[in-house]
Amino acid sequence: MHLKNKFDVGKFTILAEMQPPKGVNVSTMVNSAVRVKNMVDAFLVPEMGNAVMRMSSLGGAMILQSHGMETIMQVNCRDRNRIALQADLLAAYGCGILNIMGVSGEDPGLGDHHQTKAVNDIDLMTLFKAVSALQTGKDLAGNELSGSPSFLVGANVNARATGDALEKELSRMAEKTEAGVDFFIAPPVFDIGAIAPFLEKVDLKKTRIIPTVMLLKSVGMARYLDRHLNVTISQDLIKRLMRAPDKAVESLSIATKIISAVKEAGFSGVMISAMGWEDKLQKLLDMV
Amino acid sequence: MIIADRKSLEEIQDMIKEYKKILLVGCKGCVTVCNVGGAKEVGVLAATLKIARKKDGNPIEIDEKTLERQCDPEYVEQIRDIFDQYDAVVSMACGVGPQFLSEAYPSQKFFPAVNTKFFGGAVQHGIWEERCAGCGTCVIHYYDGLCPIARCSKSLQHGPCGGSAGGKCEIAKDVECIWDTIVKKKMEQGRLEDLRTLRAPKDWQTARDGGPRKSIREELVQ
Ligand code: SF4
Ligand code: SF4
Repeated sequence: MHLKNKFDVGKFTILAEMQPPKGVNVSTMVNSAVRVKNMVDAFLVPEMGNAVMRMSSLGGAMILQSHGMETIMQVNCRDRNRIALQADLLAAYGCGILNIMGVSGEDPGLGDHHQTKAVNDIDLMTLFKAVSALQTGKDLAGNELSGSPSFLVGANVNARATGDALEKELSRMAEKTEAGVDFFIAPPVFDIGAIAPFLEKVDLKKTRIIPTVMLLKSVGMARYLDRHLNVTISQDLIKRLMRAPDKAVESLSIATKIISAVKEAGFSGVMISAMGWEDKLQKLLDMV
Repeated sequence: MIIADRKSLEEIQDMIKEYKKILLVGCKGCVTVCNVGGAKEVGVLAATLKIARKKDGNPIEIDEKTLERQCDPEYVEQIRDIFDQYDAVVSMACGVGPQFLSEAYPSQKFFPAVNTKFFGGAVQHGIWEERCAGCGTCVIHYYDGLCPIARCSKSLQHGPCGGSAGGKCEIAKDVECIWDTIVKKKMEQGRLEDLRTLRAPKDWQTARDGGPRKSIREELVQ
């Protein structure tokens, strides 16, 4: 059963982020994924997050697919123009990639190749338009295709927004849905209460929202996320992590609890971001 | 200087179709020199618009004013006493002008009457060509004073590409391949080996690619 069918029948889906390597050594990525292959519904393969150059999402996703795993290929507007974006989408579908996620892509200034030009030929909404066009058998220039793809399309949603920002986010979400987006990935949550205003406005039965659950690798990381990245992490949780004799075990137990809470709240699934602890995914999923 | 082209009469008419009284503001800077937005062009556009609207049975009142420069807050002040007497203001300066005006008079609506195109100069009467793309790190000394960043279609630092033929660029038969010119010049001067130096990948951070730019001259800041 593909991800789309699982969504359709209302299964709580488990997605896991799988970073392609910075280099050509794919064994860590493949081994980590293969170990949890039967427990994960699809692997989300980021496209050079934070503008750090590494193996492309298309490459990483194809490698995972060749090992029998379903993937979500990320596509960004930063690194490719409309010709390359459409070409890669066709290539992806031709290689069996059925799910994609469109993102704008962070500015190169944040990454490891500061001097480069960002492409940004088309913006994210136009990218979704291009996907729709390809699905109806035409490219963005209106030329006929020989065979058209059919993707399940994802996008980000900032479920942490409140007040005016939330209004804007909801309108943006509606715009994305109209543009053909089928599911939304929300940023890391550590406490469902932190996204209560969002939940009040969204019908989880109608909109597929998948919150991210991030593994807290250290107390320092938890504090950083809380202070600088606007990810609410309670003092209790930080204390719990501080007191734990084995931080890794504690972190997995925290993540397990959040995953259960996400499931209970009625979300369509969860996206696990292991942050380099991909080797601990199996243990986590055993616990879930 | 900055080179611009006038927008089509139809586009300008469409922008101001709902207004009865507008101010048309020219600029004595670059757009006067490239004959697109100085006092003379302001006069011509105002007359043309008035005739067109009269013909449509929907006359428009247009006042004319040409500022020293629209990219200088001091001169932008020159319409302080009159800006609110109009339904809208149409600027014939480069894209900087209507923005400085919008910032100075937030309650008024401003429209651009020209399309701002490039930094260049007149190569003959009535013909202007691009020479600089404002990349923020000038390197033309490597290329004998010819800029491949602005003038090569691919901004190649090591050219020419395979599309160069008979001194023309692959994009169109009437576009000079600047790399052909650079190579010829180096050959004539017996310095072709200069071009064998491999340049570092260009740092685009100083160009528009690095985001909106600012220039701060500490000694002048008060
Ligand atoms: S190198 Fe850059 S600054 Fe110099 S002329 Fe070319 S575009 Fe302009
Ligand atoms: S033909 Fe010449 S000007 Fe045109 S892209 Fe190639 S090198 Fe540049």
